[in-house]
Amino acid sequence: MSQPAALPIAEAGEATLRSRSGRPFQISSGLWALPALIFLMAFFIIPLAANIARSLPAEDMFRFYAVLFTDPYYLGVVWQTVKVSAITTVACLLIGYPVSYFMVRFAGRWNSLIVFLLIAPLLTSIIMRTFGWTVLFARKGLVNTMLLGADLIEKPENMVNTEMMVYVGLIHVLVPFMVLSITSVLQGVNPSLEESAQILGASKLRTFLTVTFPLSIDGIATGCILVFVLTNGSFLTMLLLGGGKVTTLSLLIYQQFTLTQNIGFAAAMGNVLLLFALIGMTIQLRFLRRKGVK
Amino acid sequence: MTTIVTTPQVIERRQKGPGWGQVLLAAYVLLFFAFLLLPIAIVVLVSFSSSSFIVFPMPGFSTQWYYRIVEYRPFMQSLLVSVEIALLSALAGTVLGVPAAIWAVRANTNAAQVFTNVMLAPISVPAILLGFSLLYMLSALTLGVSFLSLLITHTVVAIPYISRTVLAVYRGIPADYEEAAAVLGASRAQIFFQITMPLIKPGIFAGALFSVLISLDNLPLSFFFGGASSSSLPVVMLSYMQNQFDPSIAAIATVQMLIAIVALGIVNAIYGVDKLTAA
Amino acid sequence: MNASVPLSLENVTKRYGQTLALKPTSLHVAPGEMLALLGPSGCGKTTTLRIIAGFSMPNTGSVLIGGVDVTELPPNRRGLGMVFQNYSLFPHMTVGQNVAYGLKTRGMPAAERTKKVRAMLDLVRLSNFEDRSIHQMSGGQQQRVALARSLVTDPKVLLLDEPLGALDRNLRESMQFELRAIQRRLGITSIIVTHDQEEALTMSDRIAVMAEGEIVQVGTPIDIYERPQSQFVSEFLGTANIFDGTLAGPAEAGMWNVRLTLPNAPVVKVAGPPSLRGSSAIRVAVRPERLAISPESTQLRANVRGIVFRGSYYAYELDLPGLEKPIYVYSGEKTVAANDGTIGLGWPDEYAIMLSDGGVR
Ligand SMILES: Nc1ncnc2c1ncn2[C@@H]1O[C@H](COP(=O)(O)OP(=O)(O)OP(=O)(O)O)[C@@H](O)[C@H]1O
Ligand SMILES: [Mg+2]
Repeated sequence: MSQPAALPIAEAGEATLRSRSGRPFQISSGLWALPALIFLMAFFIIPLAANIARSLPAEDMFRFYAVLFTDPYYLGVVWQTVKVSAITTVACLLIGYPVSYFMVRFAGRWNSLIVFLLIAPLLTSIIMRTFGWTVLFARKGLVNTMLLGADLIEKPENMVNTEMMVYVGLIHVLVPFMVLSITSVLQGVNPSLEESAQILGASKLRTFLTVTFPLSIDGIATGCILVFVLTNGSFLTMLLLGGGKVTTLSLLIYQQFTLTQNIGFAAAMGNVLLLFALIGMTIQLRFLRRKGVK
Repeated sequence: MTTIVTTPQVIERRQKGPGWGQVLLAAYVLLFFAFLLLPIAIVVLVSFSSSSFIVFPMPGFSTQWYYRIVEYRPFMQSLLVSVEIALLSALAGTVLGVPAAIWAVRANTNAAQVFTNVMLAPISVPAILLGFSLLYMLSALTLGVSFLSLLITHTVVAIPYISRTVLAVYRGIPADYEEAAAVLGASRAQIFFQITMPLIKPGIFAGALFSVLISLDNLPLSFFFGGASSSSLPVVMLSYMQNQFDPSIAAIATVQMLIAIVALGIVNAIYGVDKLTAA
Repeated sequence: MNASVPLSLENVTKRYGQTLALKPTSLHVAPGEMLALLGPSGCGKTTTLRIIAGFSMPNTGSVLIGGVDVTELPPNRRGLGMVFQNYSLFPHMTVGQNVAYGLKTRGMPAAERTKKVRAMLDLVRLSNFEDRSIHQMSGGQQQRVALARSLVTDPKVLLLDEPLGALDRNLRESMQFELRAIQRRLGITSIIVTHDQEEALTMSDRIAVMAEGEIVQVGTPIDIYERPQSQFVSEFLGTANIFDGTLAGPAEAGMWNVRLTLPNAPVVKVAGPPSLRGSSAIRVAVRPERLAISPESTQLRANVRGIVFRGSYYAYELDLPGLEKPIYVYSGEKTVAANDGTIGLGWPDEYAIMLSDGGVR
């Protein structure tokens, strides 16, 4: 070192001793997030908070929640909401997993076509897809006409307005989300792991159950939570394909709003839905954190 | 003893073709996509029916239902509202969400992490609850059932869809480009517009496309704001369906699908769909 | 401060949380010189460079460019040039647009800009590549574009962060000479960060060796190689044979007798500072190519463990009784060992290096 090198710290000038924050260079500052923060505060956080207040009337705070969780009818609705979401989730997983597996292991050059076909339904409205099912399965629809023509049935069966139809409609709308979630994780699973399991003597089924499936569990979890939460928030499918046979919280909120205008009660039901969504989000964050993804 | 001289024989082994399992799986995947596309195809088909009822086999082909929806004012008006809301909310979501996402990626603090979660949360909150809560909030602000209310509501959901892809794209871009520009004398504004924006554009377009598609079809959000000047297409379609059951619904749904395809086509022409799915 | 010093650091420190990434560091770079920051991974080279560039604010101390305190100045107002390890060429711009960018931010008119860009691309031998996209350029070409981009603005100081790290070996060597030639021609003051000792020796006027967040020695390549002050420096640049011993009293002018801690306690002469106290522990380093071997008997006798032919020389691995680590000797000739398999070892007095420490690390 040349010149008056390496002064002991105590002798260095006052100015050079001043400690600075040491913040690194950035093009953006917190100010850049301010408009979005204000907007989301005003039109997302505060309305949701106000909605919680709305569901807690001053005279009898927990009246609506008490009804919701004790009255057999409403308790049934809550139960049915969970049940419909759970069944849809499991069905989407069972139906979608083989498709993901095919995409990752065998699709090759067809992969982008398959991705496109999975996203294509997003280009159509849910009303259109629901309408399609109605056209297919209505009393004078295509399926009845064909079955009658083939003398398989004697009179047209009513296939719309059944619980089954609701599930078909929900699965149709939501299964692409499951497939895309699982695929993105399955892509990261190295095929050589499966090969090594087979070299070690595992059968194909055993390899799948002990290697492939456990390794794709993160994608399964993400997909399941997504489908579960989305089902919770749907009401159009129940409204148009259920014929009143399937009543969930979302549908009830819609009906409360359009018919009875019982605002406080609708707010309480919405908050129960929000609670389900929050539980889902928490589980998802856990999963992501465990994976070390930010 | 005889010696037979033979040229070494080249034996070609049969390469193992796809196994039964694989063929079955492929057949299943075909079936799966038939299930996925059938109801959509059938609606397009019905929209060209010459009958006033939905009957099979269809008596003939006609484009009468497309004339009918053009004449039916609520359809056209709400279609216009839907397209305007979709585009404007995507624009507002971009203006609000992109700078915020840029800050959140580079700040790397706990506050930024919390903010990111808040920014993405509207995707996960049931839309019906969001619409319901906002209606009362906006009514208190005397905005009530109006075009502006509808726009605000859709922007709340546009922000997470746009910032989500921007976050993903921007995280993959090293800070080096911005630093290189800074050493070369670029101001913060110059860096943002000349370096950062061009690099994250695919993320913005992908997010905006998602946002437009979601907005066009967001009935649970829209139906709370269905006034004279602010009914969006799904709201009008739903009320039409509850009264009539004719192929004009199929025709308007097909038109909506075409609009979405055009939107996708535009983005594809600019960037290519492969880049969008990569984001 | 002295305006003729293009760059100086005054007692700069940098903390990341609890860890002190940079201990109080001062450094002065002379006009037109190429200074290498050399050190193992994690020693604080990048940290130092980023503080100079202005991406990272030092916790204490100051940075002076041309005698002016720029510590609080953002990077875009420091007038520096920088080549990044992965080049960081803007992927959405052509080669020409990349090189022109720094001129554009300075508001230079288009016509003048084009002329300067052309001249600079000529200098780096990329004359006809102006309209190419970055993806169509090879690694070495990208490297030269990055260099042109950082030089076109006539920066006061050029910063290079492992600029050749991404190139393959052959290209790397030719680029070392080319980069050095351009730097000499323009006479631009430069700092190059590297963890490759050969690169530092080939390219720089002076080397600052860093270890664990501080500069442990600064000097010319010959200085650093021939007169390392610590065991760490002697071993980080090249190979060194280390002997421990104790002071046995003064010899002739500037030399000391040192008794090595070996069987028979041989005494050797080592140059050292005038003020040494008796019986203190001394550590001595000798470069492998300075060691002489012969079948004849000398003070030190070692067993030959192995001989490897390395093209221009033979590398001997020897076992010296009393030393744990083997001794390495590089010799042009193949020397035959004595009948008992041992070989004589020695060195001219002037090549023994006295180390001032027990060795960093
Ligand atoms: N942003 C940061 N946050 C926390 N610690 C950091 C940060 N940047 C660097 N460090 C720490 O400071 C020390 C010096 O890092 P630096 O990057 O300067 O090393 P380097 O000499 O450039 O090493 P390499 O040769 O591996 O690039 C390291 O221990 C590193 O872990
Ligand atoms: Mg480094």
